[in-house]
Amino acid sequence: MLLLQLIINGIQVGALYGLTAVGFSLIFGATKIFHFAHGASFAISAYVFYYLYAVLLVWWPFAILAACILVVLFGVVLDRYVYGPIQSADGSFFTIFVGSFGVAVVIQNLIGTVFGRGFISVPSALSRSVETLPGLYVAPTAGIAVVTAVVCFVALQLFLGRTNIGIALRALSESPALVRTFGLNPKAVSTCAFALGSLLVVPAAVLTSMTSGLNAAIGGRVMLISVAATIVGGVGSLRGAACAGLLLGIAENLALWRFDPQWSEAVTFLILFAFIVLRPSGFFGRVVTS
Amino acid sequence: MTDALISVDNLRVGYGGRVVLDDISLQIRKNEVLCLVGHNGAGKSTLMNALFGVVTRQGGEISVDGQRLHQPEPKKMAALGIGLVPEGRGIFPGLTVDEIFQLAMWATGVPQRERPERIEWVMSILPRIKTFHARRAGTLSGGQQQMVSIARALLSRPRCLLMDEPSIGLAPKLFQDLLQPIRQLQQQLGLSILLVEQNVKEAFKISDRVLVMRSGAIIHETSPEALADNKVLMQFY
Repeated sequence: MLLLQLIINGIQVGALYGLTAVGFSLIFGATKIFHFAHGASFAISAYVFYYLYAVLLVWWPFAILAACILVVLFGVVLDRYVYGPIQSADGSFFTIFVGSFGVAVVIQNLIGTVFGRGFISVPSALSRSVETLPGLYVAPTAGIAVVTAVVCFVALQLFLGRTNIGIALRALSESPALVRTFGLNPKAVSTCAFALGSLLVVPAAVLTSMTSGLNAAIGGRVMLISVAATIVGGVGSLRGAACAGLLLGIAENLALWRFDPQWSEAVTFLILFAFIVLRPSGFFGRVVTS
Repeated sequence: MTDALISVDNLRVGYGGRVVLDDISLQIRKNEVLCLVGHNGAGKSTLMNALFGVVTRQGGEISVDGQRLHQPEPKKMAALGIGLVPEGRGIFPGLTVDEIFQLAMWATGVPQRERPERIEWVMSILPRIKTFHARRAGTLSGGQQQMVSIARALLSRPRCLLMDEPSIGLAPKLFQDLLQPIRQLQQQLGLSILLVEQNVKEAFKISDRVLVMRSGAIIHETSPEALADNKVLMQFY
């Protein structure tokens, strides 16, 4: 029963990892910007939700809406006013990464200053586990996490496949120069990628605040998972990032069966390392003809 | 000249301090095929990209229908009836042909209600596209990709097509097959075409005028027949 419990926990955590990783992968795939501050987006939305819902007692849909608006604004402002100027000055991939890393550190410290560096969580009846089978405890948030992840992923696939902006995002990931030749502004399409990718962290951040809880440094861990899932899933593959996020969540939890909890993070690195050595293209990495 | 669709005066373009186009002046007249020839690196593609606003000019003027353009850019040029078929196919390998068409029409502001009719129109000009329109462009042959690229440019119903080396990677027979409908369309609709082409033998068959470029400058203007007979100029392409 312990094994089944760990698998169910892993699926719940993995679904949220998958959502976050898909957001990062979408941004990285479309813009080639290593958006390290994606973890900061997660932290911002989680803490905004926590503050509005748990502290100010705002109705939860409004708290989620506010988190969505702020996190989209954060992503768009970063793209326009941090990455944009660096790119205009012919800044390299590494320069942009350092800029993004700097922003993430500032956000982490701001959150720590305002909310403290301790552990917090949003109390909710939905996160209370009930014994569904003898010795097996499942909280409603587990089901909500899985359903939310599936709905978001399907909606994203439909958006990318059936809307003009979605097709433009996929085109941008292949050739920004050609996007311009078509008559579109690559920078505007890039901004859409940041808005959408940032928005995808909100469900994961809200559910994480209700389940495993938050601390000011959560952004760093989110980034680790996002990067690992993007590489394991295959750079540029959203389906790969989602599957890899799920795999990492399950693997981390299964590790608890035999190892101490402090080893669970090492499992992520181990899987990442194994893929880099044995299958660098990841799950769904593909060679695209040019 | 009154029948000029596009006029270029003293155009200058450079990259990183290096002058690529120097003092270029030319006119693309209505209802003509103007062929641009020259060695690799002569500046032909840069000229085409500067005309479409993909490359920023450093000096000079570009006018369409006698109206001077402050800053040409692809969307504006498409709205003015100019279409670019860029070098190297100009397709997104991961998108289907239908998606490429949808994106092109959205980008150039073709109204939603007119889009099915536009697609039908280009498929009547290049009917073979009907057999592979649902496939990813990256899985198509070179000729099919070039067809898609031309069809994509035609979707905005341009008055002028800028075609950059459409024969690259194509068998000569395939290129001939591709030029035929283009020539017919040009004559039917009174299209203007600026054609950069290495395969001059085929290009001259449909050209009305030829400009010879060398080291970023236009050094000669002539007719295709006269150039074919000029052994001194023939060395430049």
